Amino acid sequence: MLSCLVYLRNSSPLPLIWYVVLHSSLMGVDGHVSQGPWFASVLTLKTSAPLRAEPKKKKKVDPRREQMVRERLKKKLKKLERVPPELIPIEDFTTPAKYMDETRVRGAPQLPFEESERRALLLKEWSRYKQTQHRAEMEAVGLAVEAQREALEELRLESEELYQAALRPDPLLFPFNHQGPSYTPPKAQYEAPEGKYNNITKVYTQ
Amino acid sequence: MAAPCSRMASRPICQFITNVRRTGLKHTGVRQISLGSACRAATQTRSKTESVASPWKLYGAVCLQRLPVISQERNPIEDQFAELMHQMELERSLLSDHEQRLLEDSERMTRKQADNYDSDEEEADYGGQETITAQDQEDTWEQKLKHFQPALRDRDVGGTPLGSVERCLGDSLVLLVQQTVGKETIWLLPQAQWEAGETLRQTAERGLSSLPEADFKATFLGNTPCGVYRYKFPKEVRTERCVGAKVFFFKAFLSAGSATSQNEPFLWVKKTELQGYLKPPYLEKVDRFILNL
Repeated sequence: MLSCLVYLRNSSPLPLIWYVVLHSSLMGVDGHVSQGPWFASVLTLKTSAPLRAEPKKKKKVDPRREQMVRERLKKKLKKLERVPPELIPIEDFTTPAKYMDETRVRGAPQLPFEESERRALLLKEWSRYKQTQHRAEMEAVGLAVEAQREALEELRLESEELYQAALRPDPLLFPFNHQGPSYTPPKAQYEAPEGKYNNITKVYTQ
Repeated sequence: MAAPCSRMASRPICQFITNVRRTGLKHTGVRQISLGSACRAATQTRSKTESVASPWKLYGAVCLQRLPVISQERNPIEDQFAELMHQMELERSLLSDHEQRLLEDSERMTRKQADNYDSDEEEADYGGQETITAQDQEDTWEQKLKHFQPALRDRDVGGTPLGSVERCLGDSLVLLVQQTVGKETIWLLPQAQWEAGETLRQTAERGLSSLPEADFKATFLGNTPCGVYRYKFPKEVRTERCVGAKVFFFKAFLSAGSATSQNEPFLWVKKTELQGYLKPPYLEKVDRFILNL
């Protein structure tokens, strides 16, 4: 009697039945089976009755394993996403490399003593001039504020109603736009020539 | 001054003008009495029947300013300082692309004119193209600039009339009109008498729009008056009802508009020129809020 142990991966009760069937078929066949017991067992496997009748069971562990794999991938994705977005670089703060070139340096002039003296004295005079200008401005603004305060006082003495109306803010005032002074006055009926330009500013998105 | 007095008498007594002298008493009276709505109504009716029109007539005036169109001329010190700043900036700067190109071109020219000039070597470097030198470009740009003629800065050389808005483009100008106040015709800021039911700012706007032969588009800067001028009528005109007048000024900037004819009694004056047209006490009050900044 052959003592062949057919090793099967899953532990279902099926292999015992196969073993029994194999044995009986081996005994029954005479003469035709000449190669050996192993060949015969392979042939009979394909046609044995229990295999045809019972449907093949799906392995339960597989969907669970697939789910585990998917979860692991999702966790990895979340970890990657938690990285904060890259900051948009401020191009004004980085000196471009081409300005670090040494050939661009202008020759520093040697100022004579008189010139440096003149510059220092001019700077001091300028600070004095600006100081007087600032004082005058502050005084003028102070006078204007005082005038407004007096006006509101007098108005209050006159009538409370008008005073309250005066204190109300004007919603139509803002946004207030005004073209400041230019060097030359505007020309009447001047048509500015049309020009085209290529806008090469870099646009960053976060 | 018969006309204003009669106007005063015929004017209906305003319900919301409270008496000057009784303001303090009224407030204390309200605080003592409990603030039930009925009590409040009672006090209000009482104050209405008690109130007398204030003895001051109210006017709303507008200080319309045309802001400067061109920058002012520089002082000598400002000129010197600007030059110094320009010089220092130039000294501390690096060479620009254009300047480098100029230097390279000049070097190339010197090399070409030298005796041992190897044209093949040069052309190998530059690929044999015809290059436009930076100097040529500068010349073309200067030529283009000469084609453009900007408007002249100083147009006052011909002596523009005082009524024109175009004079003294570098300074801010104030509008003055000639109006009859009392018996005299004097120059002052455009004003109108206050009527019941409108705010003082509306009075000022009405005063501006009612000027004959002119439409000025102005933006008023808020509802608050910027100054007040209080004056008493001469003794013969004074009555119990009207002692004097208070003129409240409002600031406005001229946005657009022009006077249609040249003969209108308008004046656009700088702050320094106001002295020649306004009366001293009036000028003293008005000068404070007209800023020449």
